[in-house]
Amino acid sequence: MINTNIYFKELKRHRNSFLAWSISISALILLGMASFPLMMQGEMLKRLTPFFESPFMKNMMTAFGISLDAMTNILGYYAGRNAMFNMLLGSFFSILLAGKILAQEERERTAEFLLTKPVTRSEVVWSKLAAFLTYLLLLNVIILFIGFISLESFKGESHYSLAAFLIHSFYFFLLMLEFGAIGFFLSLLIKRGRPITNISIGIIVGGYFIEIISKVTASADKIGYISPFKFIDSGVLRPDYGLTWWRVLYFLGISLVLFTLTFFIYKKKDILI
Amino acid sequence: MGGMYTIETQNLTKFYGRSRGIIDLDLKIEPGEIFGFIGPNGAGKSTTIRTLLGLIFPTSGSGQIFGLDIVKETKEIKKRIGYMPSEVNYYEKMDVQELLSYSANFYETDCKSRIKELAETFDLELDRKIIDLSRGNRKKVSILQSLIHQPRLLILDEPTSGLDPLMQAKFFDILKEENSKGTTIFLSSHTLSEVQKMCSRVGIIKEGKIIAVEDIESLRKKQLRKIQVEFAHPAKADEIDCPGIIAPKADKNILNFMFSGKMNEFLKALDGKEVKDLIIEEPTLEEIFMHYYEEEKEKSEKA
Repeated sequence: MINTNIYFKELKRHRNSFLAWSISISALILLGMASFPLMMQGEMLKRLTPFFESPFMKNMMTAFGISLDAMTNILGYYAGRNAMFNMLLGSFFSILLAGKILAQEERERTAEFLLTKPVTRSEVVWSKLAAFLTYLLLLNVIILFIGFISLESFKGESHYSLAAFLIHSFYFFLLMLEFGAIGFFLSLLIKRGRPITNISIGIIVGGYFIEIISKVTASADKIGYISPFKFIDSGVLRPDYGLTWWRVLYFLGISLVLFTLTFFIYKKKDILI
Repeated sequence: MGGMYTIETQNLTKFYGRSRGIIDLDLKIEPGEIFGFIGPNGAGKSTTIRTLLGLIFPTSGSGQIFGLDIVKETKEIKKRIGYMPSEVNYYEKMDVQELLSYSANFYETDCKSRIKELAETFDLELDRKIIDLSRGNRKKVSILQSLIHQPRLLILDEPTSGLDPLMQAKFFDILKEENSKGTTIFLSSHTLSEVQKMCSRVGIIKEGKIIAVEDIESLRKKQLRKIQVEFAHPAKADEIDCPGIIAPKADKNILNFMFSGKMNEFLKALDGKEVKDLIIEEPTLEEIFMHYYEEEKEKSEKA
């Protein structure tokens, strides 16, 4: 099913962009986590408490999924920061790579070369999907590793549950997987494989803000469920924190449906040159 | 069924939405022949080729290459064919060697020595980046890419465009060599003159339909010329009496016709007439075929 020739060529083609994203995300995690001991030092956080408890800041904090209590715990701090930066960056990486890895062949008109070689359309999609998943997994392994290192290095007096860290990271992976599936699917709906960068950014930023609004406004709570971000469970400090079946099912289900549609569309479509 | 054709289509039709691609195409390409597929731009040549290659899917009708279905068994077909597109688009960041290796790795054949050999023949530097290559050099890469795995069928879309005459000659030599080893060649062009030296048969396509398929030999024997004579007096359709004049049309002093006879006899027939102007030119491809066909039709009606 996988053509290794295509698979390895794709890994090579996207290696530099993968490295750039990995390094950026890793650096952001490390820099962010390095500020944790500073926040704890001399009870900086406590002195800032009145500021954070002003009505405006309180709303802001809810919106970004940060509670003051949670922020005094290293894992709470990690999850809070992750939600703000790395989750967005990881999602961008995923949707952008998925959005171009297949469609690029049509945009750059190399599909005529590739599809006149002895490969089936399915093999092309499988091979590219495999290359995408390889990098997605690698990025998540790197994030897991850097995250663990930074938790261990900066935790100080704070304690955290390793299981909660792993579960949170797994949700993060599922989120990126879904955005990848969206990227693959969307790129096939666009004629001649035009870049879907703008739409992708719109979807992620839009989804992110819908989730924020749904958190702040009680009446908009249900609307939040159109955003994939809503399905991430960031309550890492809850004693009962764990994998929820319907959340996992949501991510896997949507991804599976979109990947299947991608195969179906790509097998049937005319390659326009 | 009889003998198996290398390429065969039955009522092959392709529409892009409402706009025409090809209509009811019936092609039969014999094993080992060099077939020229001729027609003006937009006639449907590339559409035909892309349908045969499974890049696009037929709206109706069917086709087989080596007896294999062009939609369902396209992978098997592609193991045995080499394709050269009219416009070459490759991965620009790769260098020539990398692209050719990438291409070669799709096949089971070992292509290394063949790449070297052909690169020398075409004077192509393997370490250049694709993005830095001129159009002609990209075309050379495309030639190599279509040949290195020793295909049984070559499908070439406008192979001569962008090649200088020297390279064109070298390329045709290689094609003849491949053909002598049994490779069938299907090539498209918008000019007959460009490919008539190569092809054993030509098919002409116009507005999505095949209007004629002929042996190049019998076409050449026609040596058709388009002639316009302007007389000093009003001309009649039968003004000149000479064998080989086809479909003469008189308009005031001017007489237009196609001529397939001996030029010497024609000049003799003009002798003594008051000729103000004489234009002899090579007819366009379509004119050759249309007249040729009108003549054939008349013959068969008489018989």
